[in-house]
Amino acid sequence: MNKLIILIFLLINFTDDDTKSDQFITRQGQVSFFSYTSVEDIEAKNNQVLSIIDISKNEIAVSMLMNAFVFKKSLMHEHFNESYIESDLYPKATFEGNIIDFDPSETDTQTRMVKGKLTIHGITKEVEIKTTIEQVNGSFVLNGDFEVTVKDFDIKIPPILAPNIAKVISIKFKFEYQHYEK
Amino acid sequence: MEMNAVSADITISSEELVSSFMVDERSANSMYRGKVIEVEGIVKDVTFLNNRNTVFLYGDNKYSSVICDMFPNQENEIKNLKKGQKIKIKGVCKGFLKDAILLNCMLINTTNQ
Repeated sequence: MNKLIILIFLLINFTDDDTKSDQFITRQGQVSFFSYTSVEDIEAKNNQVLSIIDISKNEIAVSMLMNAFVFKKSLMHEHFNESYIESDLYPKATFEGNIIDFDPSETDTQTRMVKGKLTIHGITKEVEIKTTIEQVNGSFVLNGDFEVTVKDFDIKIPPILAPNIAKVISIKFKFEYQHYEK
Repeated sequence: MEMNAVSADITISSEELVSSFMVDERSANSMYRGKVIEVEGIVKDVTFLNNRNTVFLYGDNKYSSVICDMFPNQENEIKNLKKGQKIKIKGVCKGFLKDAILLNCMLINTTNQ
């Protein structure tokens, strides 16, 4: 009898695990950045950002290829990759963190803080980023913006180009997740 | 970049491309990153999210694909693609996250070969 109970218990647990995963993924997340100065405005967008959230642990991970940012001018793309970000040495920017007080059952849009480690150009900083979380068809959409100070990430701008690049860069993100089938 | 004018440095199947990144990302990067490559593979999905025309080609496993961000002028051809169809795409390989990523992609017409 005891064995039967254990068996039933195991069955229920396993079937439960099979049918619902707590992970959601996007492979087509969007991250844009903007640098506004009196000399010129620079804007670039990455449409292939990877992100996974785990709603049972409130964890979020983001990864992107720096050379996949698209600029309006190819010269900007070249400077960004070869001189500033050095994407051969540091091909990815990543973020790993926790969504504080995230309630996955909430159907209204929630605004939450995400706390974690942002790595750009091989330098890791603790950051807090505000995001909205919207539930759409049983999945989630995260939207937000934040600012990054160029010198925090040891990014060297040659003096001659310093007036062209903002000291603080605005970053926008939009991640539309789908259920991650395991 | 005008993809019509450039010929591919390397020709490879989408399964092989994904598997070489999974086996050794560093050596795959040195082989494919920043290069114009021609990839043959089977269409897994076509999406139009965020006004991008994106074709996914099957990798060698369930979790990883080749993500091809297509030129805007490819839109009509992309709309006619069917899942399971075998196609060839030329694009610039940018590297690998969970999938291999190709930008500036265009379809290579294989019907008259």
